Amino acid sequence: MTTIIFDETRVTTLQQQTAQKPWAAKTGKWKAAVVLAVIIPLAITLALMFATDLPKALIMVVIYLPIQLIAGALAATATRGRKNALDAMIIVVAIGATILSLVVLVSVVWAIIAKGIPVLSGAFVSQNMTYISPATPLGYGGIGHAVIGTVLIVLISAVIAVPLGVATAVYITEVRGKAVPYVRFFVQAMSGVPSVVAGLFILTVFILTGVLKTSAFAGALAYAILMLPTVARTAEEVLKLVPEDLRTGALALGSTRARVVLQVVLPAAKTGIITAAILGLARVVGETAPLLLTVGFTDKTVVNPLTEPISALPSFIFTYVSSPYPDAVARAWGAALVLMILVTVLFVVTRILTSRRPGR
Amino acid sequence: MTTTAWDSFGTPPVYGIAGMLWGSLLLSVIALVIAVPVSLLLSIFLVFLAPKPVSKIFTNLIDLMAAIPSVIIGLWALYILQPTSVEWATLLNKYLGWIPLFDSNGNFIGSPFTAGIVLAIMMIPIVTSVTREVLGRTPPELINASEALGCSMWTMLRYVALPYGRGGIVGGIMLGLGRALGETIAVFFVLKLVYDVNWFHILYSGGGSVATLIVAKFGDASGSLEQQVLLAAGFFLFAMTLIVNVIANLIVARTGRVKS
Repeated sequence: MTTIIFDETRVTTLQQQTAQKPWAAKTGKWKAAVVLAVIIPLAITLALMFATDLPKALIMVVIYLPIQLIAGALAATATRGRKNALDAMIIVVAIGATILSLVVLVSVVWAIIAKGIPVLSGAFVSQNMTYISPATPLGYGGIGHAVIGTVLIVLISAVIAVPLGVATAVYITEVRGKAVPYVRFFVQAMSGVPSVVAGLFILTVFILTGVLKTSAFAGALAYAILMLPTVARTAEEVLKLVPEDLRTGALALGSTRARVVLQVVLPAAKTGIITAAILGLARVVGETAPLLLTVGFTDKTVVNPLTEPISALPSFIFTYVSSPYPDAVARAWGAALVLMILVTVLFVVTRILTSRRPGR
Repeated sequence: MTTTAWDSFGTPPVYGIAGMLWGSLLLSVIALVIAVPVSLLLSIFLVFLAPKPVSKIFTNLIDLMAAIPSVIIGLWALYILQPTSVEWATLLNKYLGWIPLFDSNGNFIGSPFTAGIVLAIMMIPIVTSVTREVLGRTPPELINASEALGCSMWTMLRYVALPYGRGGIVGGIMLGLGRALGETIAVFFVLKLVYDVNWFHILYSGGGSVATLIVAKFGDASGSLEQQVLLAAGFFLFAMTLIVNVIANLIVARTGRVKS
């Protein structure tokens, strides 16, 4: 008598089908065709570039691209049959689009590094511009006041937006009141607010009415409008990941719902909430338009967030780019480099934190 | 309001934003025409073509592109992109100038063409991140089935992946559109604001953008009427982006629900 063994592992492998991508299989002939299809159009294009004096951009688009498409199609027809000619063309343009995007990214980053590094120095990141004229050499004066301004504005806005955002998330996931769909809609609508509109709103409601002066606090309010939806959405995702057992367990021990939230759910989601806060910071740190309308501009180091105009990195860049002096523009590039470093650090930190988050 | 002049010293002073409203739309259309094909091809590459580690690295790089502040993009666009795009515009005008679209008024600096390219660069990461997710969620069973039927990759894309992710792709495009409409600073650097309506001459020097108008004019807004007009412009902008975003989110949410 034989017993039929139910092979569980086989069932799961059958269920977990994965895409096989047969079009990605490679044979020797295929490789040869690809190499030829890449080299020949490139050679023709380069030859034309040196031989004629047609504009290079024109040669790339009018000559290289069609030849490359045809070569790809021919290579595919030769190796896989006619049906795959179109595939090869898609691969060519898809790779082209990817290279184009990367060229843009590399160009931006390279421009900032190449033009920013010569300006960067200890003095540049620590001094302010108080006694600096556009003719002062680059060794003196810098963006210290703007760095302090950015940090001040961003921190104040975080102090406002993070608790509000977390409270919104708690309302959606823990309180689960009747207004949840409306709150969700409101947060979604807020996330689409253009940054210039956020600045305009603060300007008209608080500054033009005389409630607030042009100051770091007004800028922080505008930033908070932009930061809130990011924090609320991320915090909501994170709170959803807290196991239901923790909540029911705490409730069964006799805690009130407020205690469950404050002492069980929020501590359990601590890392996630920090992530939400940093994502919020990353969202706003480079925003310029709201600052132009709310914080004003100054060359002094200002630490008073309530009554004085203040400079921040984005508004510093904005102002100095428009200057006719080459040195002022150089300072703008230096500030751009510092801002880019700040943004990249925040980006990397959020990537590391979010990739560690369980459940995704 | 709907006129096309901006004159604080006229009697009575006129502030028309018709050119700006149309300019915003024109810029968005240019940006869409460039960004949508590039983003789709980019996500096809990331999802179906690239080896997994490459795809992962590129995905992060594209996301980093979305994180670059617009003031930096603007700085780059002013000093690096503008000369290149002017060269392109000259070529377009030289060889395709007989099409009214590529007509020129003799100066290519500050054209909607350049500003549209800048907006496209800012849209591509946003649209890509949504389309990549959507295409990546195409059930492998469907892909394998289409392979089994002897479909080429193009056929698979055309009849399986793209229809499957259509809703999400449209939603992603609209999210990108929302960003393009509200973009202020990067456009400020590369677009020469002109109050006449520039209907479709994308290579002309001069165009409009509501968001940029607000930043450009609020600093020296003279008198309460001018401020009110700018506020109205801001409200228009808010309403436009709100509508676009709500529709986008509805579409994305709906397709998400169908899938899960």
